[in-house]
Amino acid sequence: MAVTRETAATVRDIEQYKYGFVTDIESDMAPKGLNEDTIRFISAKKNEPDWMLESRLKAYRHWLTLADEEPTWAKLHYPKINYQDSYYYAAPKQAKLASLDEVDPKLLETYKKLGIPLLEQQMLAGVAVDAVFDSVSVATTYKKKLQEMGVIFSPISEAVHKHPDLVKKYLGSVVPYTDNFFATLNAAVFTDGSFVYIPKGLRCPMELSTYFRINEKNTGQFERTLIIADEGSYVSYLEGCTAPQRDENQLHAAVVELIALDDAEIKYSTVQNWFPGDADGKGGIYNFVTKRAACRGRNSKVMWTQVETGSAITWKYPSCILQGDNSSGEFYSVAITNNHQQADTGTKMIHLGKNTRSKIISKGISAGHADNTYRGLVRIGAKADGARNYTQCDSLLIGSTCGAHTVPYIETRNPTARTEHEATTSKISEDQLFYCMQRGMTQEEAVSLIVNGFCKEVLQTLPMEFAVEAQKLVGISLEGSVG
Amino acid sequence: MKRAPGLMDHPFGADYAQRTLAPADKHLAGFREQARAVFEPHGLPGPKNESWRFTPLRSLAKVPFIPADAADDVDVSAVPPGVVSLPGSARIVLVNGVYRRDLSDAIEGVEIFGLQGADRNLLGHLATAASAPLAALNASFMTGALALRVNGAVPATLHLISIAAAGNQPVAFHPRLLISLAPGASLTLVETHCGLPGQATFANPVTEITLGEDAHLRRYVQVAEQDDSFHLATTAVALAANSRMEGFHLGLGGALVRQEVNVVMRGTAAALELHGAYALGGHDHHDFTTSVNHHVPGCTSSQVFKGVVDGESHGVYQGRIHVARDAQKTDARQQHKALFLGRGPQIDCKPELEIYADDVQCAHGAATGEIDADHMFFLAARGIDPATARMLLVEAFLADAVERISDETVRAAFGRDIQGWLSRRNLKAAA
Repeated sequence: MAVTRETAATVRDIEQYKYGFVTDIESDMAPKGLNEDTIRFISAKKNEPDWMLESRLKAYRHWLTLADEEPTWAKLHYPKINYQDSYYYAAPKQAKLASLDEVDPKLLETYKKLGIPLLEQQMLAGVAVDAVFDSVSVATTYKKKLQEMGVIFSPISEAVHKHPDLVKKYLGSVVPYTDNFFATLNAAVFTDGSFVYIPKGLRCPMELSTYFRINEKNTGQFERTLIIADEGSYVSYLEGCTAPQRDENQLHAAVVELIALDDAEIKYSTVQNWFPGDADGKGGIYNFVTKRAACRGRNSKVMWTQVETGSAITWKYPSCILQGDNSSGEFYSVAITNNHQQADTGTKMIHLGKNTRSKIISKGISAGHADNTYRGLVRIGAKADGARNYTQCDSLLIGSTCGAHTVPYIETRNPTARTEHEATTSKISEDQLFYCMQRGMTQEEAVSLIVNGFCKEVLQTLPMEFAVEAQKLVGISLEGSVG
Repeated sequence: MKRAPGLMDHPFGADYAQRTLAPADKHLAGFREQARAVFEPHGLPGPKNESWRFTPLRSLAKVPFIPADAADDVDVSAVPPGVVSLPGSARIVLVNGVYRRDLSDAIEGVEIFGLQGADRNLLGHLATAASAPLAALNASFMTGALALRVNGAVPATLHLISIAAAGNQPVAFHPRLLISLAPGASLTLVETHCGLPGQATFANPVTEITLGEDAHLRRYVQVAEQDDSFHLATTAVALAANSRMEGFHLGLGGALVRQEVNVVMRGTAAALELHGAYALGGHDHHDFTTSVNHHVPGCTSSQVFKGVVDGESHGVYQGRIHVARDAQKTDARQQHKALFLGRGPQIDCKPELEIYADDVQCAHGAATGEIDADHMFFLAARGIDPATARMLLVEAFLADAVERISDETVRAAFGRDIQGWLSRRNLKAAA
């Protein structure tokens, strides 16, 4: 009966956590606005040690000096954000619903199309799910197994207590609190996120996913993720959900830091499908994310894959700093914008070490009244002998009211480096559409098929189960864009 | 006038304005005043100005320039012997931006005006002070303009030679050239921008070009300034329906050179070829910045830029293609490739596409690298010494752009200039 006891204990933990959260909303919601008290409040809620509070306050004080530094260079148009008009703790989240009947039928339809199991649907829709269900117990079993292997996979708030040395050493070492406006804000007010440590020489046997921690995920719109792959280790990390979350929060400013030491490899996959706003461009998430990986060691490797279909505004540039000799960075991206969505996304590949390699494949699809921008930097430092970069960005326009833009920066300081950049822009060819429809496909099916073909190179790099859902998502995101 | 905080100091302030010739012409006086009101608050563009991030102007801002018309010790009585001679061409010579009738030829089919006779509407209609800080600087201190009007086909090549010459003090000048081709007219124009040894010079020319329907302009520009000289040129072009423009820009040095070309397609089926090549050594800095704006359907544009860099030089290419919502059936392409000849130089490249129409073909490519070892081996195996082999390969690399010059005489002349640059470099390397 050991397993039962374990499960019961886990359930109790989760319940406590959940209740704690609910209490927060009811009684302890931090007042609107941002000041030092808000930060002390968050820190106290998390029961954080002083050094953590100090680092938050330092970031906050720096942020105050940045009032004029909110980035405006991206091709994004949105009304000025009033940072005093938000809640920074216990972000508004609608009350749990009693059953799926109360959920918006449109949402349910989408879930159905994605083929998401009922239990998952309930979780995603925010229905209070009895904690004793398969995936949770599966999650805890996995967690235990991982623990035995020495993998640390926990909320970052827990890691602050349990592994302060690791957190102190690495948090902010890739994205310092002074990095940019949104990263500074995040450093001051982040509420939670994942912490992963893979010990030396271990190949993490399963894909780690925030999916396992869906309950914890509700905690805030300022996530902070830190992944450390020690020498010779490997980890694949999945972030996000393939189904739209009914999140009403307006502002998401997350920071993700990856650190790969000698011979380590990190694969980080994201499928982001937050609320994109309605067909008239009302509402939707503003997603300002700073993601950066440091390939610190020899032969270390980081691979970013992102499928971005949600959010009203996407401002996101997962980057690699290739410090170690022979290290490599890869970036695969599909960004789909429809209706009034705007995405300004791309990557930065900073080559510092010798024989460093980077590869960028970006596919932008724009439909409706949307704007989709690829913005990328490839920088080859003077010491990066033998560095190689290959960049390909293709844009696909569907309809004549959208925009597709490409803004690459290529800065080379080393003669032995080789960089290549190619970009094309085109539309779905009438011939392809005709061919598909002649064989009995509807126009939407045909578009979905063609677009999936267009993105194939990127979707192939996703873990299998993700790839299947992402493919369906591509079709769903473009619904209503043709005809 | 109020200045924005954090501006870099520069020599183009009130003192400079006082020493500049007062305009005799009322219209020009008003034009200058408006431009100064735009230039003063922002000054020279700093590194935070996106369009100037790769080309810092700090070194320019430190030189105590005086306006060229205030320098009374400049004496140029002939075109420098090094300037390419184009058989069958007619010359127009400018010294520090001022038209020198005594050194120039008359040319059949081209009407030459000062500002007095020119169409006032052409001044500042394409290169507005608000559009570019260096155009604002030009407009703030221009003392006149040279206007060329072409009504038919001009058989001879027009060779415009602009000579920068300083006396005891560094000088700056701000020439404005207005070129208009009537519908159906055609012209081949070669521009040579050179300087005489001595104190530093700063050329800040602005050229506004208007092509009527079916007009055809070939414009070949070479900038070979002295090693310590500055040349920041802005060209603005408007193309009417079915007009064609072929532009080629050669950059062979100068402390700080920028050739910025902004083209607007105003009529359907206009065609633009805009190419360039640069070869840099020492501490040269050369910046090609282009902006091609497809505002109407059915136009084509093609850009090929190639460069080689040596020494501690810095090559920049920024190209922007903008395709407006209505500009369906656009075909726009751009390409930049650069070759490193040694350790020390840097290359910055930003080929940008901004597209709002769906039925278009747009592509860009960019690449950097060094001379391919296989190619060197191939030539070495055929008994060619490494220095010659490198020269051959560099020439072939740049030829890809140079060969797009459709005028044979100019193509050959520019080719010789590149060869000259390479042999000087080889001599330096041997010494």
